Amino acid sequence: MKRKNWVVAITVVFFFIGAAAGHAMAVDEIRIGTIGPTTGWATIFGQGCLNGIKLALDEYNNEFNGVPIKVFSEDTKADVEVMRTKLDTLKTRDNVHLIIGPSLGHEGMAAVDWGARNPEVPMLIGYSAPEDITMRKATDSVIRPGWTGAQVIFNFGQYCAKDLGYKKIIIVGQDYSYPWDQAAGFIRGFLENGGEKVERIWHPVEAVDFSSIMAKLMNMSKEYDAVLNNSGGAQVVGFFKQWKQFGLDKVYPQILGQANVPIVSMLSELGDSALGVYSSLHYYDGNPSEANRKFRESFKKKYGHYPDVIAVQGYDAVHVAFKAMKAINGQVDDPKKFITALRQVKMSVDESPRGPFYFDKYANPVQNIYIKKVVKKDGRLMNEAVKTYEEVSQFGPYADMADKYMAAPATTRDYPPGDKISYFKEIEKYFGKGYVEKLKKNNGWVD
Amino acid sequence: MGCLVQKRDLMQFSHIPKTVALLSSLVLLVAVPWIASDYFVMMCIRVMYFGMLTLSLCFLAGELGVVSLMQASFFGISGYFIAILQTRYQIPFPIPPLVGIGVAVSFAALTGLLVIRARGIYFLMLTLVLGQLVWALASQWASVTRGDSGITDIFAPVIFGISTEKSKSAFYLFELFFFCGVIYFLAALKRSPFGLMLRGVRDSEGRMAMLGYPVSLLRYLAFIFAAFVASIGGVFFAYFTGLINPHSVSLTTNVETLLAGILGGIQTLFGAILGTAILKILDLVLSGITQRYLLIMGILFLITIMFAPKGAAGALKRLWDSVASRTLGSGGPVRGASDDPFYEDTK
Repeated sequence: MKRKNWVVAITVVFFFIGAAAGHAMAVDEIRIGTIGPTTGWATIFGQGCLNGIKLALDEYNNEFNGVPIKVFSEDTKADVEVMRTKLDTLKTRDNVHLIIGPSLGHEGMAAVDWGARNPEVPMLIGYSAPEDITMRKATDSVIRPGWTGAQVIFNFGQYCAKDLGYKKIIIVGQDYSYPWDQAAGFIRGFLENGGEKVERIWHPVEAVDFSSIMAKLMNMSKEYDAVLNNSGGAQVVGFFKQWKQFGLDKVYPQILGQANVPIVSMLSELGDSALGVYSSLHYYDGNPSEANRKFRESFKKKYGHYPDVIAVQGYDAVHVAFKAMKAINGQVDDPKKFITALRQVKMSVDESPRGPFYFDKYANPVQNIYIKKVVKKDGRLMNEAVKTYEEVSQFGPYADMADKYMAAPATTRDYPPGDKISYFKEIEKYFGKGYVEKLKKNNGWVD
Repeated sequence: MGCLVQKRDLMQFSHIPKTVALLSSLVLLVAVPWIASDYFVMMCIRVMYFGMLTLSLCFLAGELGVVSLMQASFFGISGYFIAILQTRYQIPFPIPPLVGIGVAVSFAALTGLLVIRARGIYFLMLTLVLGQLVWALASQWASVTRGDSGITDIFAPVIFGISTEKSKSAFYLFELFFFCGVIYFLAALKRSPFGLMLRGVRDSEGRMAMLGYPVSLLRYLAFIFAAFVASIGGVFFAYFTGLINPHSVSLTTNVETLLAGILGGIQTLFGAILGTAILKILDLVLSGITQRYLLIMGILFLITIMFAPKGAAGALKRLWDSVASRTLGSGGPVRGASDDPFYEDTK
């Protein structure tokens, strides 16, 4: 009987904790919440973004027109349930005016869902790349100063077909949604510009032994022209190593890479085996612009190493926020005004390390896409642009039929089809006969 | 003098009838939305749905003496069915959760046949494999589960004309009702003849079999009951977070549940809830203060396992015992009394 009292006592203690937490703070500061994985396997994405955010805030002395800026950093552990809770925390406990948020694909999808339910909190998405964040699920308060997986790779498919002259390509990648999206974007660009066939080989996300795949690639080398590696992190390192061990570098040209393959942090691990890798992205580290030089040098000074595209995302997000705040004279307590201003921000070549960009009506940037190649410069590996496609939107070449693009089925591990005949049947179904005829007449996309 | 007064108060406090103590804690719980901040309500909601998951694990650990690494599968299956039925087929409220729980329980009935003969480490391994199977299905069968992106746009239902989607307080009360129901269900189960038979099976299976009890059937039923509890937690998980993705059925979720159980005291129901509350609230509070919060959590686990092998609930009980025997003298509790909330025959 007596011990039931304990249950009561413990409950009371929790109430006091609860009452103490969750009080609003004074209004004379701008509160920015950041969210992303800063522990666990995805730390590189969350921490990278956060480093960029902090660097940019340092440039402004952590204040806006004399109003101090307070940053609340929350960790998601790459778990969306934790992220939802942390978003609620930032909103109800810290009363933030802006959230600069998640860096992973599934986090982004969950964040936009949260954003739709909490339209009074403006959110700038970090490195998350699923296109639905700013397409089928787009919501007013969620703005992405980043990229979509397909956006950066459409043109790479085009480049491989037209400029490199490949006809048949094998894609080897991790078996989850981000590589699926990359493959889909590539297939569209490749097959619509003269490519004939794309074969996809998926391996488990954590695979480290590629010997069976290497043997398969060896057998396929008679028919196929090149191999595109569509993995990330340790899997790329393992793939490149075994590629040499199995002597595949003698039967194929250099491996092609999806967007994340030759980023700065990977280059130091891949070493010279990465020389000559082609890939595409909305940022390249060898960009000679003044904004990029300044960004790279101050980043190196603060953190001791050169930044990745991941840090660019956090860095740009802060600059976008400041530009919007300037436009509304710092009235961040009026979310409607703030959101409208955020969506209207236009960044010039002097303001962003990646080059100029502005937002489309779904709040995803229209930006330059660079086809890049790994070269050695001053003894250091870096990406150089070999071709620039200007003002590419998230719909790529389908910008004027965005609705049709969104009506097509979502990508899966084997959609869209990888051979030319069934692929063209599909696009005829969704984009119409006229589009297919235009493709045939122009021999692909018109630059 | 002051000491004497304190002693008198305590004695009076200790004589409050059991029902009053229970009722007042219930009133306090119901009153949460009116007296605490939104933030605290949110934390309570979260503790309750994860609490149900931990309860199912601890029920199995306490009554069957086995550790399962697939309870999150049942949790996730009901969540996934709600998501699919609601977002794809627009089926109205009471059906998706009922179907979800039904499917999760049927899945338990199926997998129960496989795992129920296993003991100890083999049970752990079998459930691990089955749990990972569900996870693989959730992340690879993209046309149904939407793969790693998960399914979003799940909205909480309207109950008695109040939208539990818009009002967190309403959601809290809705969940509290079922949470109390689950605890009552498990507590009643433990005290019923069925629970006593289970305890017999756990302690001496051979003897129970010899006495003519259907040992396998008992274990099988306990497994299904545990899955039932986990699947109810999954309903609230899906409704509150509004989304479901493979992480909810992953090994990480299973292991975190196990850790919550160990932290609180894995063989008791109260320990399950206490452990979940400590883990989930500490996680949230500490991560706001320092980025090294996982280190602190790790040290906390180490301390728990070294100094309180029966978890926080066990430690609290020891503390209460010593305080009570000192202040109440002969009026102190009797070890193992039937009205002792910490007393659950843990052998």
